[in-house]
Amino acid sequence: MNFNGRFTQVIDELVQRVMPSLVIVRGHRFGAGAGMVWDSNGLILTNNHVVGRHNPIVILQNDREYESRLLARDPDVDLALLSIDATDLTPLPPAPISPRVGEMVFAFGHPWGQRNTVTRGIVSALIHAHNRRGEKLPVVRSDVPLAPGNSGGPLVNAKGQVVGINAMIVGGDQSVSIAASVATEFVKKAVSDWVKEKAQPTPSDVM
Amino acid sequence: MSQNVLVELSDALADAAEKAGKATVLVNARRRMPASGIVYTSDLILTADHVVEREEGIKVILSDGEEVSARVAGRDAGSDIAVLKLDRPVDQAMVAEATKSPARLGQIALALGRPSPDGVEASLGTVSAIGGAIRTGRGGMLERYLRTDSISYPGFSGGPLVAADGTVLGLNTSGLANGAAITVPAELAWRIADTLLKHGRIRRGYLGIRSQTVEIPEVSQKALKREQATGLLVVGVENGSPAAKGGLIVGDILVGVTGEPVLHHDELFTRLSGDVVGKSTPVDILRGGQPQTLNVLIGEK
Repeated sequence: MNFNGRFTQVIDELVQRVMPSLVIVRGHRFGAGAGMVWDSNGLILTNNHVVGRHNPIVILQNDREYESRLLARDPDVDLALLSIDATDLTPLPPAPISPRVGEMVFAFGHPWGQRNTVTRGIVSALIHAHNRRGEKLPVVRSDVPLAPGNSGGPLVNAKGQVVGINAMIVGGDQSVSIAASVATEFVKKAVSDWVKEKAQPTPSDVM
Repeated sequence: MSQNVLVELSDALADAAEKAGKATVLVNARRRMPASGIVYTSDLILTADHVVEREEGIKVILSDGEEVSARVAGRDAGSDIAVLKLDRPVDQAMVAEATKSPARLGQIALALGRPSPDGVEASLGTVSAIGGAIRTGRGGMLERYLRTDSISYPGFSGGPLVAADGTVLGLNTSGLANGAAITVPAELAWRIADTLLKHGRIRRGYLGIRSQTVEIPEVSQKALKREQATGLLVVGVENGSPAAKGGLIVGDILVGVTGEPVLHHDELFTRLSGDVVGKSTPVDILRGGQPQTLNVLIGEK
């Protein structure tokens, strides 16, 4: 097989590996966003702003719909952790180290309601954004085209490891789109803290 | 997967960004946001002329985070290139490597910049057009330029366009084509920088005529002893200009400079730059359908 053929093949393999972990997170009032399987026993990670005011519906790749429970949310870092009653899900591995500027990244999501899309780019910059609490939030900026509906979906590297959760689009204009994703290093810590705190979620934890 | 070409490409791009990123500096020489620059030699920085709003008190932040003062060593608004002299030399490893093979249409390229001290920034694209010559709208002419579909983030002007091997393909600027980003090819940018360092500026010739492109009749082409479809009809000569002193009059058709044919305005512009300035230069004309050569002392704009 020539180079172009091998290239097409590895991209296909990457998509096949990541796609089973991509979910739709549908709020009750607003449009749908994306999310990803974080844990095989039903932990789903998404953006806080995708969740809205009620427990959203999570739709897996096999089209099965689940009522979710909101385990934790943090509007200041725009992350939310949901739980669904499902097992044997396919989680995505988080990248063990920070990405490098220039490396290739792929965003998975449902922009403008178009289901299961992949967009390509590179890591443009590794920056720190300050949230309302004055904390420094590590952010992966990329030149990947993103649109509403990509929110909450994973940004993965060439190995299919998660380098960030797609969070915001600064300047929706295609020509200067700046995609920002909350870096995995932060996401990992936030989720493990939440899981420790909420090991036994009770109805009172649910908004 | 040992033979994953995608991972290899991704690593190569990150390597290229890292290598060329060492040579990409922040240039703080204007009131608004900082711009970028390329380490050209150990004590010289190449940047875009339009981002340099002051001659002194310029601050350059290197890839290692060190800040170095700089001043303007030469600048040319026409090609939007400026050369800055650093107060102290930098590590040789920071000096950019210009590409040895010119850019090819369709090749992948990274646009790099350092608009903030936080680190180098990058965007990926392909070389989508190779063009030239164009008038730059700043009184200059660019022999050749590149266009890419990479995103030019704010503050990227003056930074490098980088090939997948980390060599520099050119200098990016949004100052030449009505705000759209174009790239001055490395070979040209390096040459302009050399000239700027020797002379402090790019010399552009001045003739002092107004002209329009006209077709040359076949009979005159025969008299000229070459096939040349068009020339420049002189419709005005400024009083006391080099053209007037050299004997050019309204009605002459200018067909060549230094023996090289001139078919339209852009070619005259190119022929009048550089070496001919300040020198007595043969200008070929048709007068009454007959070829003549006048010696004109080319002035400077």
